[in-house]
Amino acid sequence: MDNSSQEPLLRSENSVTYDCPYPIYSMAFSSSAASLPRRRPIAVGSFIEELNNRVDILSFDEETLSVKPIPGLSFDHPYPPTKLMFHPKPAASLIKATDLLASSGDYLRLWEVRDSSIEPVITLNNSKTSEFCAPLTSFDWNDVEPRRIGTSSIDTTCTIWDIEKGVVETQLIAHDKEVYDIAWGEAGVFASVSADGSVRIFDLRDKEHSTIIYESPQPDTPLLRLAWNKQDLRYMATILMDSNKVVVLDIRSPTMPVAELERHQASVNAIAWAPQSARHICSGGDDGQALIWELPTVAGPNGIDPMSMYSAGSEINQLQWSAAQPDWIAIAFSNKLQLLRV
Amino acid sequence: MDEVSVSDNGGESQPSQLAVVGSTSSSSSSYSATVAERWRPRQMVFCSYTPFLDNGGKPQTLRVVVRRPFVTRLTKEIVDTYQLCNPRFQYSETLNPKRFLTTPSIGVLNDGNDNANSDLILTVNYALVNLDTQRRYIVKDILGHGTFGQVAKCWVAETNSFVAVKIIKNQPAYYQQALVEVSILTTLNKKFDPEDKHHIVRIYDYFVYQRHLCIAFELLDTNLYELIKLNHFRGLSLSIVQLFSKQILRGLALMKDAGIIHCDLKPENILLCTSVKPAEIKIIDFGSACMEDRTVYSYIQSRYYRSPEVLLGYQYTTAIDMWSFGCIVAELFLGLPLFPGASEFDLLRRMIKILGGQPPDYILNEAKNTGKFFKFVGSVSHEESGSNPTSRSSAYQALTEEEYEVREAKKPVVGKEYFNHMNLEAIVSKYPYRKNLPEEDILKESQVRLALLDFLRGLVEFDPAKRWSPLQASKHPFVTGEPFTCPYRPAPETPRMPVSQNVKVDHHPAGGHWFAAGLSPNVSGRNRTWQNSPHYQVLPYAHAGSYGSLGSLGSYNDGAGLGSSYGSYGDNNNLLAFYSPVGPSGMNFYPHSGPAVRGPSSDTRRIMQLPHGNGLGVSPGNFVPMSLGTSPSQFTPPSSYGQMSSGSPGHYGPPSPVRGNCHGSPLGKVAAVSQYHRRKNWGYPGSAQSQEMLPSPHWHGQPTEGIFCIQAEGNSNNFGSTSLQPQPNFSVSTRRHQKGASSTSAGPSSAHNLVSSSKFGCDPKVRGQETPEPSNLLPDPGDWDPNYSEELLLQEDNSDVSSMSSEFIKSVHLGQPLVSSDPFVGGRRFNSISNASSSHSSQRSSGGSSLGEVSSPSAHETRGGYIHSVTKAPYFMPHLVQGSPSRLGQQPVQRFNHGKATSTPGAEWSHAKVQPPISSFNSGGPHSAGGIGMPWGRRSSHPVTNIPPTYRGRKDYGRIA
Repeated sequence: MDNSSQEPLLRSENSVTYDCPYPIYSMAFSSSAASLPRRRPIAVGSFIEELNNRVDILSFDEETLSVKPIPGLSFDHPYPPTKLMFHPKPAASLIKATDLLASSGDYLRLWEVRDSSIEPVITLNNSKTSEFCAPLTSFDWNDVEPRRIGTSSIDTTCTIWDIEKGVVETQLIAHDKEVYDIAWGEAGVFASVSADGSVRIFDLRDKEHSTIIYESPQPDTPLLRLAWNKQDLRYMATILMDSNKVVVLDIRSPTMPVAELERHQASVNAIAWAPQSARHICSGGDDGQALIWELPTVAGPNGIDPMSMYSAGSEINQLQWSAAQPDWIAIAFSNKLQLLRV
Repeated sequence: MDEVSVSDNGGESQPSQLAVVGSTSSSSSSYSATVAERWRPRQMVFCSYTPFLDNGGKPQTLRVVVRRPFVTRLTKEIVDTYQLCNPRFQYSETLNPKRFLTTPSIGVLNDGNDNANSDLILTVNYALVNLDTQRRYIVKDILGHGTFGQVAKCWVAETNSFVAVKIIKNQPAYYQQALVEVSILTTLNKKFDPEDKHHIVRIYDYFVYQRHLCIAFELLDTNLYELIKLNHFRGLSLSIVQLFSKQILRGLALMKDAGIIHCDLKPENILLCTSVKPAEIKIIDFGSACMEDRTVYSYIQSRYYRSPEVLLGYQYTTAIDMWSFGCIVAELFLGLPLFPGASEFDLLRRMIKILGGQPPDYILNEAKNTGKFFKFVGSVSHEESGSNPTSRSSAYQALTEEEYEVREAKKPVVGKEYFNHMNLEAIVSKYPYRKNLPEEDILKESQVRLALLDFLRGLVEFDPAKRWSPLQASKHPFVTGEPFTCPYRPAPETPRMPVSQNVKVDHHPAGGHWFAAGLSPNVSGRNRTWQNSPHYQVLPYAHAGSYGSLGSLGSYNDGAGLGSSYGSYGDNNNLLAFYSPVGPSGMNFYPHSGPAVRGPSSDTRRIMQLPHGNGLGVSPGNFVPMSLGTSPSQFTPPSSYGQMSSGSPGHYGPPSPVRGNCHGSPLGKVAAVSQYHRRKNWGYPGSAQSQEMLPSPHWHGQPTEGIFCIQAEGNSNNFGSTSLQPQPNFSVSTRRHQKGASSTSAGPSSAHNLVSSSKFGCDPKVRGQETPEPSNLLPDPGDWDPNYSEELLLQEDNSDVSSMSSEFIKSVHLGQPLVSSDPFVGGRRFNSISNASSSHSSQRSSGGSSLGEVSSPSAHETRGGYIHSVTKAPYFMPHLVQGSPSRLGQQPVQRFNHGKATSTPGAEWSHAKVQPPISSFNSGGPHSAGGIGMPWGRRSSHPVTNIPPTYRGRKDYGRIA
C-alpha cells in the first residue's frame, strides 16, 4: 500500500500517529479530562495470536500533538481484549483521581488506572464451569447508570453486571446465536446484535421480551457491531459481516433501515457516532478509509455519499470518537494508532 | 433539522479537489456553506469524498490474501482465535443456556425428548427433520399450543421461508386425530382448491420426528380474535366485515362441496395472511374437522359458536359451520361474541332471547339433549310446527333457570349480558356508531346494518334446514355489496319437486326422508352412536374406511338435502372426491405410523383414479352467480362452466353445446336413474320451467340445463356401474352407489373391498366428468366482483402482523374521500361503508398510539404505527356488481323503509379512484412524534421474535399462522 501520500498529514497539526510494537485492535478514550490534566489517556490493546496480550495506556497531548506511552501504565492481558472502555463518568467514580478501565476477553475485568500504575480491581466471571468459558465479544458501560456493565457472549447471552457489588444483575438469553455486541441506550435499556442477524432491544424492566428492530435480509448473516446514537436514541447503526454496508436504523421503524451507507470498497470494521452531533457517523473499513457521513433528511436515488473521507492506507480495525474531545477521531490500523482532527 | 442538506456541500459545492489535503482552504469553504450552530466535521485531515477511483493499487484485492478483519476474528471466529492463542482453550456450544420454548421443559417421556404432557421439548434452533426428504425445519419460536401439541414457527433454509409446524403430542389419540386433519386438508388443498383461492390454510408437508407427527403449514398472521382485541373489542368496520365474510364463505362453500365440516369455526381459527396486499384471511385448524358423513363426535364446536343442533345432540351437517360463521360475522361487527354462553344452558337461553323462537320441533323431538333444556308441554302436530317454531306452537318449552336447576340438580351457569338490547335487531341497529359520524353517514351505515341484520338472520337460524348454505349466503346483498332493499330470499338449493317425480325417492334405501315432513330423518342411528364412540378409537376406523362408512350416512345426507337444501348433491360428489385423502398430495408420509396409515394409502390409489375435475368443478360453481338457483353448478362440469363464464358476463349460460346435450337425451334417463336427477327434476322438470321458477331467471335457466346434461351423462355411466355392483345397496344412482360402495368397505380390514368397490365407483365417475381440467377456467373473484380486492389494495408488503392490520386501516382510510361525490344511491351507500370504516380505523390506530405509554401494546402495533414508507395510493374501487334488477323488482315485501334506498338497483357504479390521505395514517403511528424516551414505553408485550405474543387465551393454538 502506498502510504506516502499520507505522510504529510501525519505531521500536520491535525493528526498524530503512534506506532505500537503490536497490532492494535481494541482502543478507548478516557472521558476524564479533569483527573489527569494534559494527559488525555488512551488505552490500546494488542491483537497477538498468543495467550499473552497487552494493554497500554498512552497519553495524548492535544497541544503538542503528541502521543506517548505513560510509564507504568501497562499490563498483560490474556487473549486479545475484545474491547476496552474507560469509566464513562470518572467524576462519579468511587475512587477519586483515578480512572477505571474495563476490558473484555475471556472475562470482564476492571482495572484501576492510577497516576503511575495499574491495579486489577476485579475479574468478573459468570461461567458455570471452570474448564470452559464462553468468550465475551464485547461489553458496554452504562453511562447513565455507571455501576452497570453489560457483556455480550458467544453463549447467546448478555450479562448485566453490577460492578459496584461485583455481582450479576441478570443474564438473558438474548439471541438464538452468538451475541457479538451490546450497547446501552438508557439506564435499563440495551440493544444487542448477533450471529442470528438481528438487532434486539431489551428493557430490564421486562426481561421476558425483547423487540427485534432489524433482521439482516439473509437470516443468520452475522451482525458484528452496534452503535447507539447517544445524541438521538432513535438511531443506531450496525454492520454486517463481510459487508461494505453501514445499516442505520430508526427504532421507530423496525425492520426497515432508514439508511444503508455503502461507499466503502471493502468490509466495514468499525463505526462510531459523533458525540456532539445527532446526525454524523464515522465508519472505517478494510478499504483503509474512514468515512464521515451525515444522515440526510431524504436519501437520494443513488444512495448516500459520505461528507468526507480519510485514507489510512491500511485496513482500519478500530475507530473511536472521543466523547471528551469531540474534535478527535482515533483509528487503529496495523500497529498504528492515529488521531485525526475533524 | 434542516437547513443544510448534504448536497450543499458534499459533492457539489466543493467540486472534488481530489487529494486536497490542505485542510484550511477547504474547511473554510465548507464553513461558508454551513449554518453556524450546527456541528459539522471540518475538512482537515478528512477531505471531501470522492467516489472510488480505480487506480491500480486496489487495497481490497490485497486484503483477499490477508487474514480476516480483527473484528471478525474476535466475533464470528473468536473461538478459533482463542484456540490459536491458547491451544488449551475449549469452548462447548452444548453448555450454552438453552432457550426452551416448551414448558414444562423437563424431559420425562420418550427417552427424555418429551415432557410430562407428551409434548416434544423444543428449544430455539431445534431441528425437526423430515427423514424422507431430509428437509430440516429449524424451530425459531413457538406460535401457540393446545391440547393437540404445539405450533412452532420454523425456518426452512431450502425454501428460504418460514412455515408453521404443528407438532402433535406423542400419544396415539392425538396422532390419529392429526392424521385426519392431514387427510382432510390435503384433500381440500390438492383436490378442491389447487389454486389456493378458497381461503383455506395450505398444508405443505408432514412427517414423523421423534415419534411426533409434524405438520407443516403456510405461516399466517394474527387471528381475527386478536384483530378485534387490537381494536379494543370494538367492532370492525362493515366493509371489513363484508370482505371477511365473503372470503370465509368461499372457504365454507368449498368445504361444503367437499363434504367437510370444520366443527370449530371461530375467530381464533381465521387468520390474516402475511404480506398480502389485499387483506386476506384463511381458515385454519382442521383438527376437529370431519366428513359430513362421519359426524362421530357430539361434543364439538367452541361454545360461543356452537350450533343449536350440536348443543341439543342432534345430527349435524355443514350447516353447523354456517351457524358459527353467523356468530363470527356478528362478532366482527360487534367486537364481542353474540352468544357468550357461560354454559350450554346459558348459550341456549341467549340464542332464544336474542333470536326469538327456538329450535324446531322436529329437532327437539329427536335430539338427544332436548330433555336437558326443554320440557314437553303438549303435542302439536309435528308437520306444522317444524316449519314455524315459535314457543307458542311448539310442543316444547325451554326450561327456566329454576326448572333447570331442579332437573339437573345444579344451578345453571349464566354469564353477564353484554348487550342491553336483547334481540338481534336491536343489538345490531343500536350498536353505537362511531363518534363524529356525519348524520348522512349514519343513515348510510344504518342501511348497511339492515343488510347485515338480514344476513345474520339467515345464518343464525335455528333450523339447520333453513339456514343458508355458503352459496346462498354469498349471494346476499351484504356480501355482494348490492343495495339492500328487502329481505333476501335465497334461491333454494334443492328445489321442490313434483310429487310424481318424487316416487323415486322411496326406492332409495334411506333416501326420501324429509325433514320438513316432520319425519325425522331416520338416519340409521349413525349419529346416535357418536356419543359413545370416544374420539380416538374411532379414528383408525375412520381412516381406513375413511370416508367410507357411508351407507347410512349417505342416506342421511340425502335426507338433509331434500329437506333443507343442505346436503346437496354436491356433497355426495365430494365424497367421491374425498376418497382420496392423503394420497394425491404427494406428501411423504413417514411411516412410524401404525395401522391407521394404511387406510389412507389404499385410499390413495382410489383417489388417483378420480378425475381431478371432480372437486374442481364443484367449487367454482358456488361462486358463480348463475349457480344460485339450484346449486346445479355443483354438477356442472368445469368445462361447461367455463363456457358460461366466458360467454356471458351477464350471467347467462352458454348457448348451445351444453344445452344441446341437455335436451338431447338425458331427461328420461335421468329421471329413471339417478337420485339426484330426481331431485333436480323436482325443481325443474324441464328446463323451461326452471326459468320461471327462479327469482332471477336469466341467471339460472341455462345453467340448469347445463346441469341436466351432465347429470345425464353421469347417470348413464353410473347406471352401468350400478348394475355391476354386487352390493345390494346400490340400485339407484351413482352417487348413492358410491356411498354404498364405501360403506361396504367401511371396515378397516376390507382393503380388498375398498379397492374394488372404489373402482366401480370411480370409473364411471371418471367418464362422467372426463372433460374437466377446470382449474384454469376458474374465474377470478375479481372477474365478477371487482369489489373483491381493490378495496384493500395495500401499500406495502409487510410481513408484520400488526402492520397487516394497520394496513387495513390505512387502506380503509382511503375510502374516505369518496364520500360525497357519487350521485347514485347505491354508490352513496357504499361510500358510507368505506367512510365508516375509515374513521373507524383511525380510531384504531389512535388506540395503537396510546399504547405507547401503557405496557400492553405489542410491538407489532407499534410497527403498524410506524410504517413510514408511504407509497402508491391504493385505489378504493367500489364497484357494485351489476345487480340483477329482476331480483329487486321481484321482491314484493319491503320490510324496512329506507326511503330512497330502494331504487336504482342496477346503477353501475364505476370505479372511483381515490387518493388516500396519506398523512392520516402516517401520523397515526404512536411514536411519530415521540421523543427519545418513548420507545421504551411500548415495547413490553413482545416476545423475543417480532411476532405478537401468544396471548390468545381462548384458542387452541395460535395462528398457524
